[in-house]
Amino acid sequence: MAQIIRDPQKNFHNPDIAGVRAASGKKDSRRVTAWGIAFTGAVAAVAYLVIFKRDPYLAIFKFLPDGIAVTFQVTVSAVLLALIIGLCTGLARISENKIIHLTASVYVEVIRGIPLLVQLFYIYFALGRIINIPAMASAVIAMAICYGAYMGEIFRAGIQAVPKGQMEAARSLGMTSVQAMRHVILPQAVKTILPPLGNEFVALLKDSSLVSILAVSDLLRRGREFAAESFTYFETYTMVALLYLIITLLFSRLTGIMEERINAGK
Amino acid sequence: MPENKAAVRVFNAVKYFGALKALDNVTLDIRYGERVVIVGPSGSGKSTLLRSLNRLEIIDSGRIIIGSSDINDPGTDINRIREETGMVFQSFNVFPHKTVLENVNLAQMVVKKRSKKEATHISMNLLKKVDIMEKAGQYPWKLSRGQQQRLAIARALAMRPKIMLFDEATSSLDPEMTGEVLAVMRTLAVEGMTMVIVTHEMGFAREIADRVIFMDSGAIIEENVPEIFFRNPQKERTRLFLDQTL
Repeated sequence: MAQIIRDPQKNFHNPDIAGVRAASGKKDSRRVTAWGIAFTGAVAAVAYLVIFKRDPYLAIFKFLPDGIAVTFQVTVSAVLLALIIGLCTGLARISENKIIHLTASVYVEVIRGIPLLVQLFYIYFALGRIINIPAMASAVIAMAICYGAYMGEIFRAGIQAVPKGQMEAARSLGMTSVQAMRHVILPQAVKTILPPLGNEFVALLKDSSLVSILAVSDLLRRGREFAAESFTYFETYTMVALLYLIITLLFSRLTGIMEERINAGK
Repeated sequence: MPENKAAVRVFNAVKYFGALKALDNVTLDIRYGERVVIVGPSGSGKSTLLRSLNRLEIIDSGRIIIGSSDINDPGTDINRIREETGMVFQSFNVFPHKTVLENVNLAQMVVKKRSKKEATHISMNLLKKVDIMEKAGQYPWKLSRGQQQRLAIARALAMRPKIMLFDEATSSLDPEMTGEVLAVMRTLAVEGMTMVIVTHEMGFAREIADRVIFMDSGAIIEENVPEIFFRNPQKERTRLFLDQTL
């Protein structure tokens, strides 16, 4: 497990983009990173447009923050729900009980085989015929169900990466399997789980733009509304894209820092 | 503690790994206070037998009684049995995310529901006993392998076990560290702990054992007091094994 943790390449899909100096961890001189260029560029572009091209960018810039708040609301709620679903799924996938195991496996297979956009439509429109779910809630539920399946695989892999002897030692001391999982296995699994979970968080944040079709006023939806009224499509979507970029870059950097901390702690 | 009463009774234990017969009709009694050393070639089933005693392996047929409980009976609380049977592994299996003190405290607090203060008091005494008290605040990766194994022993002792199982506890240690760990085990033996020891250390077996058991191909081939076992083994297979190892 220690090997896996120390190898940033294995844990982190895009080390360069995230600004983790993976290849040359010792060289502090290599400060110029793809992340740095992208982030500085995006912030500078927004600043330039808002200050020097006030019309229409300032109006757009003032209109969008409500959408950012909704995007965060959707993302954070969906992530929290997805974490719970993911943990349960991960545990179920390693369960010795065949029915539990099979149920979780089928869930993962089915969800991974259906595009998120279709799932959103399905939950909103199809289930909407039976019970009336508010747009926001159905968006959060659909995304959580979808991402829960992916997170389940991350939890499963993280738990299985903890050496078998740890569970045996915990059980030998008289701990129940729940106690052993809680006090011995999961705290160790977290180290391998956190970085990929951070990536899922960023991916979910980006995918949350899909909920704009469900009449949820997220960042993209606010952009569409503004553009439709002012006919400034190019300008509005430029600003929307830049804001998404800044937000995701910030979060992927946070993920990178988190991973560095974990590696430094061991 | 009841003397001369059976601490462990194994009746006709059979265990398969796929087609491989890991335990072949093993029957064995161990009294309280007795020190039994199990020797045999790799794959002879000695570790499987030991691991069956606290149900890390579940036997396919036969019975295993610890104290007065059949450990494979669905009505038996296996966690209570495991509290009373401490286990020490070849690979130590100390908890890397916990400090040395927390390693010893954890199960006391989680399983025995001792307060942190009470657990710490017990832990510090045990750490002193295995001579790593000054490491209490460190994380295990800062310890030598010998120290990690002594920590694992302290962790098991914290549950106040009636029986201690040692599964090749020194096999992954260099000679100096082996000596440190054997010294701790010797102390336990002097204190009268019931011990079941799987080992390749023949000198130690001869010194510490009340009884030596030789296993091969999943079966007990021969058992005897160490003086007779090592000087005058009765079975040809035992003789061959001892010739190769001594």
